[in-house]
Amino acid sequence: MGAPDITLQPLTKDTRPVPATVQERRAAWLLTAPALSLMVLILLLPVVVAAILSFTDYALGNDTFRWVGWKNYSHLFTRRTYEKMFLATFTYVVTVVPISVGLGLGAALLINSLGRFREIYKTIYFLPVMATLLAMSIAWEFMLHPSIGMINRTLELGCGTLFEAIPLIREGCADRFPVWLGDKRYAIWVISFIGIWQGFGFNMVLYLAGLTSVHRELYNAAEMDGAKSAWEQFRLVTWPALGPTTVFVVTISCIRAFQVFDTIEAFWPQGGGPNKSTYVMMFAIFEKGVQQNLIGIGSAITMLFLVFVMLLTIVQCWLVERKVHY
Amino acid sequence: MAGLSITNITKRFGDTEVLKGVSLDIADGEFISLVGPSGCGKSTLLRIIAGLEDQSTGEIKLAGNDVSGVRAADRNLSMVFQSYALYPHLSVADNIAVPLRMRQQKALQRLPMIGRFVPGQRQIRHQITRDIRNAADMLEIAPLLERKPGQLSGGQRQRVALARALVRDPAAFLLDEPLSNLDAKLRVQTRVEIAQLHRKLGATFVYVTHDQVEAMTMSSRIAVMMGGRILQCAEPDTVYHDPEDIQVAEFIGSPKINILPVDQNATGALGLLGQALHLQVEQKCQSVRIGLRPEMLRLSGEQSLLTGTVEHLENLGAELFAQIAVPGLENRLVLRCDPSQRAAVRLGATVGLDFTPAQALLFDQDGTRIRRVHDTSRRPVSTAEVVQHGRT
Repeated sequence: MGAPDITLQPLTKDTRPVPATVQERRAAWLLTAPALSLMVLILLLPVVVAAILSFTDYALGNDTFRWVGWKNYSHLFTRRTYEKMFLATFTYVVTVVPISVGLGLGAALLINSLGRFREIYKTIYFLPVMATLLAMSIAWEFMLHPSIGMINRTLELGCGTLFEAIPLIREGCADRFPVWLGDKRYAIWVISFIGIWQGFGFNMVLYLAGLTSVHRELYNAAEMDGAKSAWEQFRLVTWPALGPTTVFVVTISCIRAFQVFDTIEAFWPQGGGPNKSTYVMMFAIFEKGVQQNLIGIGSAITMLFLVFVMLLTIVQCWLVERKVHY
Repeated sequence: MAGLSITNITKRFGDTEVLKGVSLDIADGEFISLVGPSGCGKSTLLRIIAGLEDQSTGEIKLAGNDVSGVRAADRNLSMVFQSYALYPHLSVADNIAVPLRMRQQKALQRLPMIGRFVPGQRQIRHQITRDIRNAADMLEIAPLLERKPGQLSGGQRQRVALARALVRDPAAFLLDEPLSNLDAKLRVQTRVEIAQLHRKLGATFVYVTHDQVEAMTMSSRIAVMMGGRILQCAEPDTVYHDPEDIQVAEFIGSPKINILPVDQNATGALGLLGQALHLQVEQKCQSVRIGLRPEMLRLSGEQSLLTGTVEHLENLGAELFAQIAVPGLENRLVLRCDPSQRAAVRLGATVGLDFTPAQALLFDQDGTRIRRVHDTSRRPVSTAEVVQHGRT
């Protein structure tokens, strides 16, 4: 009876069941596999492909491509066109982000202090966010028309009145009013203005949500502690409480500002504004990658764009973890 | 430090009248508790005293000066909030410093970085640091000064809130249910500490609570509020033993006072479940109820006024509360007995209950205390002896 046992023993050792932890790990991988593979396929793979293409001279329809190394990137930092691209993009971001965040906060604070008509104001300020920017661009284009546009017509009414004290109107009456979209001095500011007009309602809604989380009793405590003015109470209670919201709003606004495209495409379909003064990154990607079929340089701009957005996100994460979570 | 005088305060929120003419005089250095069930208006009254809410009518005087219309920041009062209301982004030390900085420094001096170069800053800053130290030492939170409120336990936050209130020298302290967010054990401990703090500071404290135990254990006087009115304001002992109103009697005391309906015959003599109580009421009332505290009842033998069965027992160790169902009475009676009597009050046992009728608290149909009661058990008697609790 003892002999078969001895011979069987090595066999049972080999077919011993897999330990529970290993089995659990396998099941976990199996269960996350669909989500993981989709994530890689849809989100990560395109980025990797774009990164690879940015080192080539590939054009859509070609069978082959050549490796060009860092040439695409060196173009980005040496050619005059791309210098204009960076200038336009950063001017837009640096103008639109602080103003649209500030206006959003201001509007949210004002609306929050209202007893009635809150919903009406909220809706009004949110309207431009809901509207299609492309359609709105056409309306703006009409309004900004140099001769028949509403804006210049309105400015003309100021001629011969006290409003002539304003330099813009004085010069306009003496000579002619700005061509707005056709003038390289004004184009980027007009675009920025439309960006602010369109975007601050979104920031306002985010701030309104943030304001609901401010503890009412803190204002009472601030009052008891001697914070009399609205500004002191804002500094002591509201602003710190809005810290996380602000970080989020600034990040979102930055990313949206980097992505500006619709208005520029609608106003100047053939080339990024007068003297390329509104040649922003998104438009450059579109122009190079789609219109001119220069996939390599388009991908290089895309990668640069991705780096900016990533940097912003990292700064946001760092701020949220370190500074604004109490 | 100063006394407070409140005269005829009313407060309306739309159609609801929350306070219906409240008057209260608080002496300098007194610890007064506003106690009552939720919705009785006690917190509203405190907020009106603080200046965070305006009264509809009435007058508030602080140290003899009318402060109606003076904003909260200018009333020189300190308040501790139920949620503690600490500034989450500031460290404990900065939290405590806020009332000092707001009052002693100008806007320019409070600016970060630049502020320290404004002339005359050194001295003020040193004084503020010293004051923070003193307040922190008094409440034993010195090791926590660098932490943020988010890193503190409920009890520690509570201490920080107290420190912030006492760091400057206010005319009075207002405390709005400061212990309600603490666990039971910590609450007892903090109760003692707040009472000691009051003795040490000798300042005026106005303390709002719904917990009658807190009110009883800490206050020099208790103001019992119900439905927007102060029903009685007296020392804890008086409120407990000599309540003016049946609602006060029912609210103060745990377990609750036993209320029994009694009959009154044509001559005004009272009887309970057909047995004479040897008490006579001068006025004729629609109905009379008597209130018996659990400790007024005692176990007795055969010849008892009341007989019933033990339905439920609550053993607190040092004392034992028995709920006894008496036939003919709607509610169970609660009896407080000594643990030595445990054998007699087993569940289901039939027990006899007795009490001294002269000790019972009598209330008329409106719940008002009946004061003119004659004890007819001992004869002859003179009126002066038998009118109970002559003090009012």
